[in-house]
Amino acid sequence: MPTSILGPYFRTIVTVSVIAAALVFSFTYARNGVYVEIQPLFEWMETTWFGYVGKTWGAAFATIQAGHLIGLAVLGGCVLVSDGRLLGVVLTDVPHRIVVDRADAVFRWALATLLVTGVFMACGVAMKIYYLPVYWYKMLGLACGILFHYYVRRPLVAHELGAINPIVLKMTAIASILVWFLVAATGRWIGFSG
Amino acid sequence: MSELIYNFAVWVDDTPWSAMLHESYYMYNWVESTHVLTLMISLGMLFLIDLRMLGWAFPDVPASKIADRLNIPMMVGFTVMFITGILLFYAVPVRSVQSVWFRIKMVLLVGCAINAYLFHKRMNESVSSWDNEAKAPQRIRNGAMLSLGFWTVVVICGRFIAYDWFDCDYPQSAFIEFVAGCVDGQTRF
Amino acid sequence: MNEENQSLTDGQNTGLKDAQTSALVAASAIIIFSAFYWFAQIQSVRELLELAYG
Repeated sequence: MPTSILGPYFRTIVTVSVIAAALVFSFTYARNGVYVEIQPLFEWMETTWFGYVGKTWGAAFATIQAGHLIGLAVLGGCVLVSDGRLLGVVLTDVPHRIVVDRADAVFRWALATLLVTGVFMACGVAMKIYYLPVYWYKMLGLACGILFHYYVRRPLVAHELGAINPIVLKMTAIASILVWFLVAATGRWIGFSG
Repeated sequence: MSELIYNFAVWVDDTPWSAMLHESYYMYNWVESTHVLTLMISLGMLFLIDLRMLGWAFPDVPASKIADRLNIPMMVGFTVMFITGILLFYAVPVRSVQSVWFRIKMVLLVGCAINAYLFHKRMNESVSSWDNEAKAPQRIRNGAMLSLGFWTVVVICGRFIAYDWFDCDYPQSAFIEFVAGCVDGQTRF
Repeated sequence: MNEENQSLTDGQNTGLKDAQTSALVAASAIIIFSAFYWFAQIQSVRELLELAYG
């Protein structure tokens, strides 16, 4: 148990703080300051080897995009199976702990694939995505998804399913599906923009 | 043969709904996005089933259970993909039928269907004897590997269709012209 | 021994409550944000289509 100065509701306090910080950041001028500050990073990304290959070798870029899609498919499968189990829709006759843990083991690899291929793709079109609002929505969704998955969802489902409030459990599963769908949909929309 | 396919594509292209769908920024993008995002349901489930057979996912869940339970959402996903895929073809028929990548994709999809049929047949025949094993027998594993490989190439080809490297309105080698089914004097793309 | 078990159970209960509360807060935030986001997206498409076609 965390015995910090924040008391027994450490996780809740951190969660509320992160959400509050994200809201303050998104709706104040703090965002504009950071946006300008990180422009050199995106300019640099285009000059890296990844950026060079992505820009000049179309076939490599498209193949990596396909790898990104395959990672997305596997990640989507894991999320739907795992959250579907929490919602009582799929694999209901398999203990939830087994489904959630085993799906998580594959989820990890899929997420790693998505991040690696995503960084490669971002380098190839860094200045394009820098000016695209939908890219930033995707990044916000991705950060939320990763934090939500590892900091909120996993500790919750580590407890006995029967002991967890069913409404909270279902809300967690729905939120998980929604956040990853948002990441996928905004990602697709990057291709149509700019 | 190529001319016949080309003429069919031109006829489809001439239907008013084809042009409307192609020219509609939002509708076309919604259809294409649905086609791509349904990967998460169809290929997501399929890959989990294949990975289970290879012993890389859900090794302690009976193989038959994974295959049976994930089959329904997978088929729902494939149905949506199939419908949106036809709509995408309907929107851009002439360029599609003369795309090398589209042609390879179609051949591979037939390969995928045959492999899936054989995979299920072999699995149903023998699953009772290895259902709880972490890895399926070699024959089933080969089918799973083939499925993973086929679908990976299908996704790559699907992505490549968007690129114009081998389009018929550029000068191409005789081989590419033959594989893509380029027709002399074609007037539209 | 009983006291040890009791404190373990208390700890687990508090852990569960903490995990549940944080999940409730985060899930609510995501669901509300998603509802606003998709409503805004659909609304903007509708407005654009109205501008284009009346």
